[in-house]
Amino acid sequence: MEMAYLIGATILAAAGAVFGWRARGDEGHGHRAFWWMVGAFVCQLLFLGIRGELRGQCPLDDLGEICLFLAWSLTFFYLVTGTTYRLSLLGVFTAPVVVVLQLVTLFPGALDANPVRAEVVDPWRESHAAFSVLSYGALTLASVAGVMFLVLNRRLKSLRFSGGMMTGMPSVSRLVEAMARIALVGWILLTIGVVSGLLMENGEVNVHLVVATVTWVLYAVLLGVYFVRGLPGRYLAWGLIVLFILSLTVFSKI
Amino acid sequence: MKLVCLGLNHETAPVEVRECFALSESEISEEGKLLIEDPAVAEGVVLSTCNRTEYYAVIEDGGVQHLENWVCSQRNYEGTREGVFYYYESRRAAEHLCRVASGMNSMVLGETEIFGQVKKAYQAALTGGTTSGILNKLFQRAFGVGKRVRTQTGIQEGATSVAGAAVELAEQVFGKLKGSSVMVVGAGEMSRQTAQALQSRGASSVIVTNRSFPAAEKLAAEIGGGAVGFDDWQNSLEKIDVLISSTSAPHFVVKPRDIEAVRRKRKFRPLIMVDIAVPRDIDPEVGEIEEVYLYDIDTLQGMASRARTRRLEQLKICEGIIDEELTKAALLGLE
Repeated sequence: MEMAYLIGATILAAAGAVFGWRARGDEGHGHRAFWWMVGAFVCQLLFLGIRGELRGQCPLDDLGEICLFLAWSLTFFYLVTGTTYRLSLLGVFTAPVVVVLQLVTLFPGALDANPVRAEVVDPWRESHAAFSVLSYGALTLASVAGVMFLVLNRRLKSLRFSGGMMTGMPSVSRLVEAMARIALVGWILLTIGVVSGLLMENGEVNVHLVVATVTWVLYAVLLGVYFVRGLPGRYLAWGLIVLFILSLTVFSKI
Repeated sequence: MKLVCLGLNHETAPVEVRECFALSESEISEEGKLLIEDPAVAEGVVLSTCNRTEYYAVIEDGGVQHLENWVCSQRNYEGTREGVFYYYESRRAAEHLCRVASGMNSMVLGETEIFGQVKKAYQAALTGGTTSGILNKLFQRAFGVGKRVRTQTGIQEGATSVAGAAVELAEQVFGKLKGSSVMVVGAGEMSRQTAQALQSRGASSVIVTNRSFPAAEKLAAEIGGGAVGFDDWQNSLEKIDVLISSTSAPHFVVKPRDIEAVRRKRKFRPLIMVDIAVPRDIDPEVGEIEEVYLYDIDTLQGMASRARTRRLEQLKICEGIIDEELTKAALLGLE
């Protein structure tokens, strides 16, 4: 049954990608893509619910589950971040990424056919894994917004106003706002993930946790400076991109 | 009976002639009613804007001279007629209406206001009962063409004026301009036009500064803003989002240190600066500041010129749409 939900989510997200592309920059038609993505989100939840029941814990044990969880995270941010984001190139490209992640999940062997049910469940470990993946989704989007800002900023500064890239680009102000807002959400989720990690049973202070904490502190400093003192958009963008690359090293140490 | 269009516009008649034929919104319905009282005329729609007055009518064959005489006598026009009026009949009249409704015949190619004006003219004729089978179908088709041209071609894309280009850039930086603040340095005509263009897109507050304070006050009153003294304008930099400068000063008026002094207070918010003065008012080094987007008159004129070229390139596609729609419609009166 869960495969039906997964296929449904993939078809709906693909429809969202098509309608999102056609409606880019046009607020009057943006809702069409939105409702397809709502459908995809519901199917993802049903899939994750069934896998969670089978696992007896948060379903993050195989490649397929991790990809689907990440797809769900991206869809979640797509739905909650606002119209401007959804209609921008950033939003338009979220749906195809969700489709790709779900196709990976559908790939034979990506999902355990007979998932092993966990005998002992540590809720802190569950929270750590779930919130970390969620925050990873948000911080990915924040850094993508950062890249888009740098492209737009460069074009506006060097007087290159034409070209397909400019169509559907959000404004500078909206991009800066989106970067900061998405990164803040990601940082809050990362906070819960890190704290949960520190509270895990048999949890010991290892390299992974130290690097994760350092990343968390650096994000806190960057966002603190931006919200309290202010920061030129370019510095915020570079900060988010560099910290995201750093956060990748954290995940490589799992 | 034959479809005809008789008119004059900015290309054929100077303003002193056009104003003789100009009709207000309330007058065009009455003019239409008077027109169809003429036994030679079966249907009529009168279109009048600041750049054109046109009579679309279904009249007896050979009645064009009669129509021209009627129009001139209605408006008590006794000046020269040679080259002032243009006249189209049958399919060419229908094509002309489609071009007008699509903005292809406007002074600013591709402008959109004309579409609404044609709609109002038709609505007035409809209310006045001066249209029937031929003009009803023709105008409906022309509105269809106008919509297709607007959505399927790039004839309306890009700003074609310096003020419009400044607005386009400001929107690329800020998105919607609703609630944004503008400072105008210098009380010249270009400053006024650009500030008004920004206001028309939602800019809510305008501060004007000028070496002559009365001139600043005058422009501020005209555009609904406030005036500040020329020795005090730097103090307003903290609040603004867009700065337009157009003074006749022979040296730079805005220097990097003016902006550096307020960056922290502005929390490094983006600032768009438009320098439409020659010689330039804003030191180019100001554009090196991270959050400042500086554009001079050459940039804006270049944008406007490219937009005009792009619009001209779209004309062939637009003509194709008109041809296709009129052929498809097989309207009466076009034979």
